Amino acid sequence: MSEYLAPFEAMLDTLFPPGRVRAIDAGADWSDERAEVEKSGFLEALASEDGLPIGDVVTLWRALGYRAAPLAIGETMIDRSEQDADLAKPLLLAAAISGAADRVLSMTVDHANQRVQFGKPIGRQQAVQQQLAVMAEYVVAVRMSLDLASSGDWPTAEKAALAKVVAAIYAPQIANAAHAVHGAIGISADYDLQLYTRRLHTWRLEGGGETAWARKLGGSILSASDSSLDWMRRLLF
Amino acid sequence: MFDTLSLATIPPEDEALRPKVRTLAMEAVAGMPLDRRARSWMGFDPAFSRKLGEAGLLGLTLPTEYGGAGRGPFARFVVVEELLAAGAPVGAHWIADRQSAPLIYNYGTEAQRREYLPRICRGEALFCIGMSEPGAGSDLAAVRSRAERTGEGWRLNGQKLWTTGAQHVDYMIALVRTSGGPEGRHAGLSQLIVPLDRPGVSIRPIEDLAGDSHFNEVFFDDVDLPPDALIGEEGQGWAQVTAELAFERSGPERIYSSHVVLDAWIEHLRKVGRADDRTAAIVGGLIARLATLRAMSLACTGRLAAGESPVVEASLVKDLGTSFEQELPLAIADDLAAHPQENPDPEIVAALRYLTLVAPSFSLRGGTREILRGIIARGMGLR
Ligand SMILES: Cc1cc2nc3c(=O)[nH]c(=O)nc-3n(C[C@H](O)[C@H](O)[C@H](O)COP(=O)(O)OP(=O)(O)OC[C@H]3O[C@@H](n4cnc5c(N)ncnc54)[C@H](O)[C@@H]3O)c2cc1C
Repeated sequence: MSEYLAPFEAMLDTLFPPGRVRAIDAGADWSDERAEVEKSGFLEALASEDGLPIGDVVTLWRALGYRAAPLAIGETMIDRSEQDADLAKPLLLAAAISGAADRVLSMTVDHANQRVQFGKPIGRQQAVQQQLAVMAEYVVAVRMSLDLASSGDWPTAEKAALAKVVAAIYAPQIANAAHAVHGAIGISADYDLQLYTRRLHTWRLEGGGETAWARKLGGSILSASDSSLDWMRRLLF
Repeated sequence: MFDTLSLATIPPEDEALRPKVRTLAMEAVAGMPLDRRARSWMGFDPAFSRKLGEAGLLGLTLPTEYGGAGRGPFARFVVVEELLAAGAPVGAHWIADRQSAPLIYNYGTEAQRREYLPRICRGEALFCIGMSEPGAGSDLAAVRSRAERTGEGWRLNGQKLWTTGAQHVDYMIALVRTSGGPEGRHAGLSQLIVPLDRPGVSIRPIEDLAGDSHFNEVFFDDVDLPPDALIGEEGQGWAQVTAELAFERSGPERIYSSHVVLDAWIEHLRKVGRADDRTAAIVGGLIARLATLRAMSLACTGRLAAGESPVVEASLVKDLGTSFEQELPLAIADDLAAHPQENPDPEIVAALRYLTLVAPSFSLRGGTREILRGIIARGMGLR
C-alpha cells in the first residue's frame, strides 16, 4: 500500500467528520475544504507526471467512501489525468462502495458486540452471526474484484465493468444486512449508519447498476471464442 | 477486516504447467458425456490419476525427496483449476493429493513420509477421509470410533459414514478416540492411517439421489493396526484435523464444481447467436462473480504459500464459492427453459439435471454452510 494513504486519510478525517458530511449533504458550501484538498496536491494523483499507479489511487478512493467524503475529489483526480475517464469512473464508484462497505461492516460488528438483548450481546446469537458472516463475504468480494480491476495499468473496459458489477450486486445486500442487525437505531437520522448505506444505494446505480455493466461484460464474452477460464485469464487477471 | 486476503498472482513457472495439464485433461474427457464431466471430483479413474503422477502433476507441494515437485500451492492451483474446468475424473487421487499428503508430510514420522508420500505422488496410494460418523456430522468432536493400545499396536472399533471413495481406495485417515469418552470432546482424539484391506474392515456403498455410489458406510470390528498407524501425536487429533480441513476448504474446487455447464452454455449461446441484453447480463453477472471468486481463491492460495493455515479465509471463500456453484446450474437451466425453440443439446440438459440434484451437497461436504459461517463470525471477533 502506498505511503500516501495515511496522510490522505488524516486529511479526510479532519475535513470531513460525520457532522460536516451531514452539512454538505444538506447543501453547505465546501469550497474551503476543496481548497485544502487542492493544496494537498492529491488532486494530481493521476496526473501524467509523478502520478500514482491506479491501484494506489483506488485505495485513496476507498478512503473517500469509508468517510462518505465527496466523490468529486476522486472525479477531479480522474479529470486531471490524460486517460480515458469513462474507464476510471466505474472504478471510482466501486472503490467508494468498497470503502463504505468496510465502514458499514465494522460499525455492524461493533454494534453486535455492544447491543445487549436477552441478557447478552446480540452478536452471540447465531442468527445474527450468520448474517454478519455473509456480509463479510460480500465485503471481501467487493474489495477483491476492485483489486483485480485496478491491478496493472489503466483499467480496461472489462476490468472497469467487473468492479462495478460486483460492487453493485453486493452494495444493497451489505446495506440491508447492516440495517437488519442494527435494528431501529440504524433507521434514525441521527445515527451515522445511514450516511453510508444511503450512499451504497446511490453509488450502485450511478452510471449504471449491475445489469447495465454485466451486459457489457457478457457481450464481450459472447463475442469471443475462448473458454470462460481463458477469457477471464486473458482479460481480467 | 480480512485484510490478510490480498490479491495474489500465479508465479510464471507455475503458470507454465497449464498447457501440459490441459493436454492430459482434454485427453481424459474426450468423448465423455457432459454429465459425467460434471461429476469431476466424484469421477473415479485410477489410471488417469497414475498418468498425472507420471507427468509429475501430483504432490506438487511436496519436496522432491519424497517424490513431490518441490513447488508451492500455486502450482497445485493451476493443475487443479485445469482439471476441474475440463471436468476430468480426478476423484481417485483427490483426497490424497489435497489433504492426506500434506497431513502426512506435516505430522508424520520420517518413516511414514517415505512409506506413503512417493506412492501418493505416483498416484498409487489412494486415500479417503474418515471423519464423519452417524452421531458426528457437524459436531465432529462427538466421534465414538475408538482405538485401544494393544501389546502390538492398536485395535480399532467403530463406524465411519459418508466416506467418499472408501470402496475403491487403499487407506483411510480416521479421526478416532484414543482415550476418554465422547464427553471428552476435543481431548483424546487421534488420527490413524487404516489400510482398508485389513480384516475387520467392512465397507458398504451408499447410493446417492442421482444414482451414483461414491460415499460409504465403513465398519471397524476389532481391526488390528501396527503401532505406526498413528499419524502425528496421540491426543492431538483435533488440532491436526483442523489444519487438514484448511487444506480441504481452501482450494479452487470450491468454485468450479458446476463449471463444465457454464462453458457448455456459453458455447450454446454463441452457436445459436443469442447475445441480447438480457442474456449478456446473465452471462456477465455470472462471470464477474466467478472471476471474483477466482481472485479470492488465489488470495487464499497466497496464504497457504506463505505457510499459514487460512482457516477463516478458506471458510469465507468456500461459503461464497459454493453458493455460486449452486446458483449457476439453476440460472442456466432457467435461461434454457425460457428458450425451448433453441433445442439445447441433450447433454447439457442431462448435466444440468444432475447438478441440480447434487448441488445441495456442495455446501454440506467439507463442513456445512452454517458451520463455516460460525467460523467466519468467530474470526470477526464475535462470540
Ligand atoms: C457428497 C458428500 C461427501 C462426503 N464425503 C465425506 C467424506 O469423504 N468423509 C467424511 O468424513 N465426511 C464426508 N461427508 C460428510 C460431511 O462432512 C457431513 O455431511 C457434514 O459435516 C455435515 O454433517 P451431517 O451431514 O451429519 O449434517 P448435520 O451435522 O446433522 O447438519 C444438518 C443441518 O444442521 C445444521 N447444524 C448442525 N449443527 C449446527 C450448529 N451448531 N449450528 C447451526 N447449524 C447446525 C447444519 O449446518 C445442517 O444445516 C460427505 C458429505 C457429502 C454430502
